[in-house]
Amino acid sequence: MANATHDVARESLEDQERLLIDQAIAKNGNQPGALLGILETVQSANAHKFLSMEALRYIAEETGVPPARVYSAATFFALFNLEPQGDNVICVCRGTACHTRGSRDLLDKLCLDLGVGDHEADENSEADKMALTTPDRRFTIRTVACFGQCALAPVVEVNHHILSHVNERTLQREVKSLTQGRK
Amino acid sequence: MDTNVKATKNVSLRIDGELVAAREGDSILDAASANGKYIPTLCYLKGLSAVGACRLCVVELAGTDRLLPACTTPVQEGMSIKTTSARLTLYRRMAVELLLVERNHICSSCVSNGHCELQSMAQSLGVTHVRYAYNNPRVAVDMTHPRFVLDHNRCILCTRCVRVCAEVEGANVWEVSSRGIYSRIVSDLKDDWGKASNCTACGKCVQACPTGALAEKGFAVHEMVKESEQVSRLATRRTGSANGAH
Repeated sequence: MANATHDVARESLEDQERLLIDQAIAKNGNQPGALLGILETVQSANAHKFLSMEALRYIAEETGVPPARVYSAATFFALFNLEPQGDNVICVCRGTACHTRGSRDLLDKLCLDLGVGDHEADENSEADKMALTTPDRRFTIRTVACFGQCALAPVVEVNHHILSHVNERTLQREVKSLTQGRK
Repeated sequence: MDTNVKATKNVSLRIDGELVAAREGDSILDAASANGKYIPTLCYLKGLSAVGACRLCVVELAGTDRLLPACTTPVQEGMSIKTTSARLTLYRRMAVELLLVERNHICSSCVSNGHCELQSMAQSLGVTHVRYAYNNPRVAVDMTHPRFVLDHNRCILCTRCVRVCAEVEGANVWEVSSRGIYSRIVSDLKDDWGKASNCTACGKCVQACPTGALAEKGFAVHEMVKESEQVSRLATRRTGSANGAH
C-alpha cells in the first residue's frame, strides 16, 4: 500500500522538483523540526511559491513523517501556500487598527480593480488564509491579521515592501506601476 | 526506563483542603483521581498524553489568579488546589458553551445522543442554554470509510482520535489542520478517510471519541455507545509497559 502511494507521488512530480525536495530533505537532516525547513525550502524554490499536494505527499514519503502531520504543519502556518501564487503579492492588513482606518474598503476596491472573486465568500470558506489569485496569475491578494505597524495604518504590503497610510488612490497607483513595469 | 531506575520522589499537596501524597511528575489530575477527587474532563483520556485542549479540568491554585489545567500541570510540593468553586463552575460552563457554539451539536439527531460526554458534561454543569451566537459552519460528513463515519459537525477537536491513533495504534492517520475556528480533523493530506493508506480500521479513534463525531456505520440516533474505557485500559497497559513494567 505504502509503495503504491510512493509510486504515485514519484510519477506525478517532475524530476527537477523531486531532486530539489531530496536536497532539501538531505540539508535539513532528521532533527526534530526539520519538516518546517523542508517545507520552506521547497516552497521558496517553487516557481509559483506554493506546495503542491504531490510535493507534500512526496515529502511525507521520503521523510517518514505521517502525511497528516505534513498537511497539518502546512495549513497551520500562514507562510505556506497550497495554491499557486501570483507574480505580485499584495497583502492587506486586516488588523484592528487598519480595519478602523478603512482596510476593508481597500481590500474591496483592490478585489474589484483586479477582478478577483468575492472575498466575503472566501472569508466564510473552510480556509483560514484568504488568498485570491487573478486568473492570469499576475496578482495574489492576501490578508494578514497584523503587520505590527499599527501606527502607520492602514498598511498594505506589496511584494514584501510595506506601504503606510494607504488610501485607494495610492494603492491604485501602486498596482498600475506593477502592471506597467511588467509589460 | 529512566523513570523507574530513579526513586520517585513523593510530593505532598492539598486538594480541597485534604492533604494528599503524589509522585513527582504526576499531574494534578492524576493526584486528584488517585485520591477520589473528581475533576471534570473532556479531552483527557487516561493512558494517552494530556494536551489541555478542552479547559474543563481547570483548577484554582492558592497564590495565583490564573486557573491551571489539572491534566497538564505537574504537582509541586506544598500546592493547595481547589477543584470546585463558583468561579470554576462559571469557567467550565463557559468552556462547554463555547464548544457547543463552535459546530452543530444538535443532540436530537446525533448517533451519540444519550451516550455523549459533551452532552453529559453540559448536563452535569447545568448548561441549559447557550449565551453566545452559534457559528454554524458548513462542514462535511466523511462517509468514505467502509465501517466508520466522521461528522465534523459534532467534533470538539479534543484530539483524542489523533492521540490514540498515533500513540496506541501507531498509524498516525489523524491530525488537526489549519487553526482557530477553521481547525478540522484531517486524515492524511485531507484525503477521504476511506483512502487513508495507514488506516487499519481498528476503530480506536471511534471508541475514544467523546461525541458523535466519529461513529460506526449502521447506528441510528441514540444508538452509538462508545467504549472509551476499553481504549483507555489498552492505552494504560501500553504506557505501563513502555515504562519498563513488563
